[in-house]
Amino acid sequence: MDVMDFTSGHVPAGGSSRSLAGLAGARLQQQAAEAGSAGRTPELISGLWHTPVAALGQPGRLVCCRLDALPGEPEEVAGRILNESEQQFWQGMHAVDKRRREWLMGRAVAKDAVRVLLERHCGARLAAAEIEIAPDPYGRPRAEGAWVERLGVQPSVSISHSFGTAVAMAVLDAGQGVGIDLENVHQRRENFESIAFSGDERDLLSALESAIRQEWALRMWCAKESVGKALGRGLSAGMQAFHITGLEPANGLIHLELRAGALEQFPRLRGQTLAAHTLREGDFVFSACTYQQGAVRMRPSRQQIQDYLLQKMVELTQDWDYAEPVRPESKLFTELGFESLDAVVLCTAIQEHYQTPMPFAELLAEIGQQQRDLSINELTDFVNTHLSGPAADGATGRPQ
Amino acid sequence: MTESEIFDKFAQIVSRSLRIDVEQVKPDMQLTDLGAESLDLIEISMETEAQFHIFLPDKSILDTAVEVFGPNVLERDGYLTEEGKRLVLQRVPASDAVAFQGQVAVKDLQHYFLKVGTWVRMIQGLLRYTPAQCAGCGGAMTGSMGFRMKCIRCGQEITLRSGEEINREWVREYYQSEYQLQFGMPVAVHAVQ
Repeated sequence: MDVMDFTSGHVPAGGSSRSLAGLAGARLQQQAAEAGSAGRTPELISGLWHTPVAALGQPGRLVCCRLDALPGEPEEVAGRILNESEQQFWQGMHAVDKRRREWLMGRAVAKDAVRVLLERHCGARLAAAEIEIAPDPYGRPRAEGAWVERLGVQPSVSISHSFGTAVAMAVLDAGQGVGIDLENVHQRRENFESIAFSGDERDLLSALESAIRQEWALRMWCAKESVGKALGRGLSAGMQAFHITGLEPANGLIHLELRAGALEQFPRLRGQTLAAHTLREGDFVFSACTYQQGAVRMRPSRQQIQDYLLQKMVELTQDWDYAEPVRPESKLFTELGFESLDAVVLCTAIQEHYQTPMPFAELLAEIGQQQRDLSINELTDFVNTHLSGPAADGATGRPQ
Repeated sequence: MTESEIFDKFAQIVSRSLRIDVEQVKPDMQLTDLGAESLDLIEISMETEAQFHIFLPDKSILDTAVEVFGPNVLERDGYLTEEGKRLVLQRVPASDAVAFQGQVAVKDLQHYFLKVGTWVRMIQGLLRYTPAQCAGCGGAMTGSMGFRMKCIRCGQEITLRSGEEINREWVREYYQSEYQLQFGMPVAVHAVQ
């Protein structure tokens, strides 16, 4: 039985594993006992890594596992830990050996993290093959299996690998996102800062002591990755969409805010600062963060909608020739001087702001056919109607 | 440059960056299958930009389009809507259309954009925006600092257009033409004015 523990900083060399009776096992058993579950802890392939969990200050709710080398031949390990559909994927995986090992190690740590979590919180001891790690439609790994219904939980998982090491972090509540990213400091990268970071972000780096600058560039990279993972869409919105606003070298915290691209995906995070914890341990730099999905937004009143629209209109027209104050009676096209693309931009902004698709295309087509104009008052009523009615979660802004 | 010349040059970049045999790089493989981690993708992007004199977009056409169309129109709960598929199909070669039949998840699109062949065609598309000759004197252009090109004869410099800007412009035009198509009229109601 191989259980490694990385917390003490002592990483057993490949092959020299310690038994459950050892330090790591004692820790595992203690945790199981704390959670009120009796009996033996399931056999882990990887080891618990407490550093990221401690950094996030949520012991108990999070589990992190780490693996520095595959404990056996890939085929043998695959046969031991994968379920049927994962086996199929593994057999058909058209990739270089490095990628195949990495993928397999990623499954191993993710399964272990979920197993420890389920034992600790649900008293369920599951085999690795009972936990399928499958990507959701956005590509974020999710733990699945027959137990999901039985136990009523579905943990969120995040996996990272770098330089032959794999880590995974799991959290019990599927409504909570978790993100971890790992990079080896010895993997030399030429000037990746110039493409990964904006001018403002590079200024933050330049302000640091030169001795730690390179390490912090990696930490900043990891922070973006871990936030992207915790939110569930990775960095698909582009690296500039995850903007770093501050560094705290004293405690490893990195503050970020979302910008265009990511804000469309997560409108509720507008104006919010997100924090990622970063640390260096040995040759690795990592970042970890969690994200609790926001509470349901309150429906705005008609007055609030009108205030928003007036303010938006002032923003949009501030550089134009229109000298009069923007009023609820103001007409978009004849008075404010709107053109086609301005209307498109405005409609998009409104849908984004309220995170609700509305049939703007119909509205615009109708006023086109009638050859009439549109006042802010009328637009307010339109938004008000479509926020309150059943159309609020309806189809897209296009009639079919 | 022909598609096969671009492929050869790109395959060299990938093989050097990932330290694999160039023979292993095939159009149908994803860069991640070849062993690329996230920072390798950055490295490959930088090298590609420097060697081809192009300015790659930092996100996929879908992600750019969502900024224009707003949420839940092109993609909903992780799957492309019919509208989303129609947009993507406008941007991929006809031979790849089969990959966008039936249900298409956002992750499937991500995998598609990680394929070597997709990169090659993206490079080919962007090369149209990289002038071979100086607009002023007709001299040959060469890569300069950053995303700039310089005429070797008269020294005139130009800045390359970013892939992101090009994509965004395309999406905006597409957005308008789609509405025009649907209603037989532009979104604008200029007639009122």
